[in-house]
Amino acid sequence: MNQTPRALNRVLVGVLGAVLALVGGTGLLLALMPSLHGWWNGFTEDTGQVLDNIFASTTLEGQRDSWLWIGIALSMIVLTILAIAWVSAQGKGRIGTLASEFSEEPVPGGITLSAAVAEQALKAALLERRDIVNATVSTWEFRGQPALKIRVHPRQGVGPYVVAEDVVALVTALDQSLGQRPPVLVSIGAGARTRFTRAERVR
Amino acid sequence: MTSSNTNATDEQPDAVTEQIIRRETHSSRAIPATIAAAIIGLFCLYVLLETTLKALGQDPWLASPEEAGQWLADLPGNVEPLMLGAASTLLLFVGVVFLALAVVPGRRARHSIPNSRAAVVVDAEVIASSLARSARTVAGVTPEQTMVTVGRDLVEVQLRPTSGTPVDREAIRTVLEEELRRTSMTPVPEVRVVISSSGVIGQ
Repeated sequence: MNQTPRALNRVLVGVLGAVLALVGGTGLLLALMPSLHGWWNGFTEDTGQVLDNIFASTTLEGQRDSWLWIGIALSMIVLTILAIAWVSAQGKGRIGTLASEFSEEPVPGGITLSAAVAEQALKAALLERRDIVNATVSTWEFRGQPALKIRVHPRQGVGPYVVAEDVVALVTALDQSLGQRPPVLVSIGAGARTRFTRAERVR
Repeated sequence: MTSSNTNATDEQPDAVTEQIIRRETHSSRAIPATIAAAIIGLFCLYVLLETTLKALGQDPWLASPEEAGQWLADLPGNVEPLMLGAASTLLLFVGVVFLALAVVPGRRARHSIPNSRAAVVVDAEVIASSLARSARTVAGVTPEQTMVTVGRDLVEVQLRPTSGTPVDREAIRTVLEEELRRTSMTPVPEVRVVISSSGVIGQ
């Protein structure tokens, strides 16, 4: 429900995995097969020659080292910032507004519906029930529109279809009272509190 | 809300509901992504330090870029073969793990229940505890004597009957299948009831 960049996660994790596997695989082959030493020496010599030429051609008159080092340092700064941005993009997307509408007619003005309206109404209705240990309701931006996430922890042994039907009935009632029909996720789960509380035997 | 209006909005949320269900039943890879970003960021910071020292004409901290390149070129000869093999194997293993995390689907132990208004997902644990309650009610045993595991297409019930009290395997299967039908899991899993040959005394 959040805006974690899932495709990007998989692509970047895959690229890092491929690079690490390539480096590790080359090292392992070098350690295990002495016949490859000649190939490795030739390869590194050629690569070193190419790099030396590049650095020599980018060294300015009167300077000791190539200006390419500064370029590499700057690109490392950019890469580090991108890595930090990537981490901070995980799990984003919680919002505080369920709906807002602006209109010029009959008088100019706007109405904003806080997410707390739906969250508190649903939570209060759910916590009244004996067969539900805990419930949390949160609002997330999903595909450009607000969506409700309802996480319910029923007591052990309660049929999930019963809980699902009742929660959806509450959502339908909320739809009618708010005049909004946001996408809704009902997630029925088990947590530490459901595991350590008694199963409900009388219903 | 008029009925035509309801139909018009029914079409659109369905695609959104599908997307929500897909996201909720698959792992987001947020933790591997964070670890990968940390590895990339730390590596970039180290390269940044060494290249900056190089660009400023200062002494290197651990090894200058040229020294590091030369060390790589000399490789199999300048390290203990055992050390090289072990380090390479570790790198290869980490790389393969990251690659696998990027490629495999990463299904979570959750099932979706079809619903016209909301996306409903249920943890397999909740379905299992609900099925366990039905099974032990039919068999007349205590909670400790039943264990239910819910997979994607197999539900397995392990039951230790009370000594001297016969248990009707078919009755349990019928009740569980009815319960699964009410949960409307898709695909409908196969039910397997395993009744252990030794009973429990004194329940």
